Amino acid sequence: MLDLTPDMKLFSLRLQDPAVAESLHYEVGQFALVSVFGVGEAAFDISSLDAPRAALEFAVRRVGTLTEALHEMEEGSVVGVRGPFGNCFPMAEYEGRNLVVIGGGSGMAPLRSVVNYVVQPARRERFGQLLILNGARTPADLAFKHEFEKWASSPQTCLELTVDRGDDDWRGRVALIPDVVRELKPSPLDCVAIVCGPPIMIKFTLKALKDLGFADSQLVGTVETKMKCGIGKCGRCNVGDKYVCLDGPVFTFAEIGRFLEEF
Amino acid sequence: MTAQRITRQGLLDWLNGVAAKATLIAPVRVEGIYLFRPIVKIEDIALDYSQSTVPPKEWLFPRSDTLFTIERLDRAYELKPPAAAGPRVLFGIRPCDARALAILDRLFLAEPADNLYEERRQNTVLVGLACARQQLPECFCTSLGGGPQEAANVDVLLAGAGEAYTVTVATEKGQQLLSGATLRDGGEMPPAPSLSNQVPTAGMAERLRLAFNSSYWQRLADRCLGCKMCTYLCPTCHCFDIRDCDVGGHAERVRCWDGCQSALFTKLAGGHNPRASKAARLRQFYAHKYLYFPERFGVTQCVGCGRCAHFCPVNIDIRETLRDLQTLEVCPHGSGETARRREPVGAAFGDSRASA
Amino acid sequence: MSDLVTGIRAQVRDLLARRRVEYVVGYETGSDGVNARPFFAYTTEEADRLVFDNTCTHNLTKYLVEPERRGSTIGVVVKPCDARSLTVLLAEHKFPRDVVAIGVVCPGIVQRTREGGDGEAPQARCQVCDQHTPPACDILVGEATAEGPVLDQFARLAPLEAQSAAERSAFWSQQFERCLRCYACRQTCPQCYCDECFAEALDPEWVGVRIGRAENWLFHAIRCFHLAGRCIGCDECERVCPVKIPLGLLNRKLRKEVLDRFEYRAGTRSDERPPLETFRKEEKLDLA
Repeated sequence: MLDLTPDMKLFSLRLQDPAVAESLHYEVGQFALVSVFGVGEAAFDISSLDAPRAALEFAVRRVGTLTEALHEMEEGSVVGVRGPFGNCFPMAEYEGRNLVVIGGGSGMAPLRSVVNYVVQPARRERFGQLLILNGARTPADLAFKHEFEKWASSPQTCLELTVDRGDDDWRGRVALIPDVVRELKPSPLDCVAIVCGPPIMIKFTLKALKDLGFADSQLVGTVETKMKCGIGKCGRCNVGDKYVCLDGPVFTFAEIGRFLEEF
Repeated sequence: MTAQRITRQGLLDWLNGVAAKATLIAPVRVEGIYLFRPIVKIEDIALDYSQSTVPPKEWLFPRSDTLFTIERLDRAYELKPPAAAGPRVLFGIRPCDARALAILDRLFLAEPADNLYEERRQNTVLVGLACARQQLPECFCTSLGGGPQEAANVDVLLAGAGEAYTVTVATEKGQQLLSGATLRDGGEMPPAPSLSNQVPTAGMAERLRLAFNSSYWQRLADRCLGCKMCTYLCPTCHCFDIRDCDVGGHAERVRCWDGCQSALFTKLAGGHNPRASKAARLRQFYAHKYLYFPERFGVTQCVGCGRCAHFCPVNIDIRETLRDLQTLEVCPHGSGETARRREPVGAAFGDSRASA
Repeated sequence: MSDLVTGIRAQVRDLLARRRVEYVVGYETGSDGVNARPFFAYTTEEADRLVFDNTCTHNLTKYLVEPERRGSTIGVVVKPCDARSLTVLLAEHKFPRDVVAIGVVCPGIVQRTREGGDGEAPQARCQVCDQHTPPACDILVGEATAEGPVLDQFARLAPLEAQSAAERSAFWSQQFERCLRCYACRQTCPQCYCDECFAEALDPEWVGVRIGRAENWLFHAIRCFHLAGRCIGCDECERVCPVKIPLGLLNRKLRKEVLDRFEYRAGTRSDERPPLETFRKEEKLDLA
């Protein structure tokens, strides 16, 4: 367990059954359902990368009863995990292209694995330029600080940070994410932008990107809905003819635009 | 398919035999309504019942279902699955409710299958009871391709009333169940009852798409109370919640019915609710049945049983909504139409009501 | 067309034409062509869809407390019992916003079973109703009638009260077993307006999510205590219950207790909070 922000922790899970651990594979962007037995179960994006004997990692913000219970657990506690579920970021399709990764607040959780996938030295040259824009309310709320150096030092990679409100030690940007997008003007040419964060931030960030010439099909995000079963039965995550747990959580905004409903 | 006859007494004798080998679940009269309940005395079965208030789906997808019990051990948990369901005979199911189970099958049995539902489904024999009359004033099964004597979704269908029933054996499972019954040859299907409701359902998916942003939904939702009755009494609604709860000292993970008409259904832990208005939730009820489910599973998720219309405390009537949708002005997604439509709900019924 | 209907339509047309209200909640004829249902009239033309007769069972004051209506100026058609609901809401300061109450002299509402028909017997509440003219409203439609003698509101309780505690427990246990927790009873009740209902609160989780006898029992027990001294007896909860749980009995019993102990009848005073929300030193506390 690692404190990421005052209300966000990174949980590392090791599977008890070695055979299951051995056979577990997942893709970037998939999610799993984590149980605190006696409290309940909730869906979280997997923040780690699939690697032999690596821990499963989840970045969890304290927002409700279940996340509260997770946050209060001690190192070494036993939780349950079901998964992996859902689709993934099509990383192979992104090869050869530039990437803009924009995360607001806890929206950085699913994006962390995207960034770590691209900056792996063995893989880095398969991708073009990488722009990471990580924003939060305050400097303390910026998640994954322990990895900023690794990200920023990767070739052809630019890490930009911004906060809504600075503090005495903050020397960086104080600006809203959409404004930073307008300032940095990433080129839509051969580029995919992945945006995750609160609905209001997504709305204005998409507008800024579209103004720069990004098409809906170049804009990718994760749809956050309530999920209970993870296997397309419980109906909680139904949006249009899609079940986010089966067909998502990763969608292009061209697909999201066809949902009829705003989610 | 072969047709035979059974007398009322022969039927009761056979059911006595059935009840000795399996849990017999049939409609009984409780406080003036009909419910499917396990049968203790064969005479309790309401052979001439109209329609059950709660659909028999509750015996395959119960309102509360224990997924597993949780025992806390030292640094570990033991999860115990519930006891397996024994053999069951669901007797007296109406053709519409049987059709609804076939619709639920598409969802619950799609890979990965829902094992609790699947196990119960495999262990259940369906004995249908054809409708000798229109059961609810609001029912409209024939508008959706069903019928009061449809045998397609049951193992055995009984038709008739009073002293004799015509027996249609539809499956091998049904044939086996009937062994031991005193059947006579030469059963003839009684004439089908005439049903008063013809509701336009063709092209509804497209109508819903076109009317998606219509202020019609706001007007309809004006009188909606936001209870979950329509979804709980619907034989095809399948949404549920999964939570852990304390049961006498140990924890259980249970899944319980839940419905899209509750504001809490889509509300996220952080407080954001993508379906925050009654209008959006009511539209979801219709769109899921007539647009989304057909897109995904190829069938309309409604059998026209009429329960939602019949029991709605404020007369939100699916027949009326479907008719209105046929004539509704077009307000497709993104057209920016948000103004309150002046045309009230139910305009398709004409002025006769306004001057009543 | 009855004088009541003509009167209501004229008043509503006037309110809408003067823009005194944004819309009026009243009744129109429902989809079966016989029974009334709630209707929201936004224009003077729509005012002509309004009806009033002995099928107007709904307590429309429920709509006034919906969160989505906050900030709107609303007209509402009220029967005498509904007017008492309004009075409770006023006493509880639920109306920082503007409401125009159009009171209608009530002929009594008929009982209709869902099997269709069952004749024209008056509803249980109407059989013992001693208030046919709305007690507090801004506009009165119909001729105020002299009120008859005060009737025994609680005769319906007698058989249950004659039973032993164990028998009553068995009775309610059987009733609550059927409950689906569709929450229609709560959703139709004007006096149930909490932003977060205790029954669905997660932190703490007062009532388990399981739809079972024990949880259902807890839900109905706590709900009726929340309504004690506030329920005006419209019995809509009982009417809407799909599995016919006699919730009216439960609420009637609590009304009787409040009347006996505090001489308080809900919905009669808008200047006083209900007795269970207040405490006075002189109140008797025979907790033995």
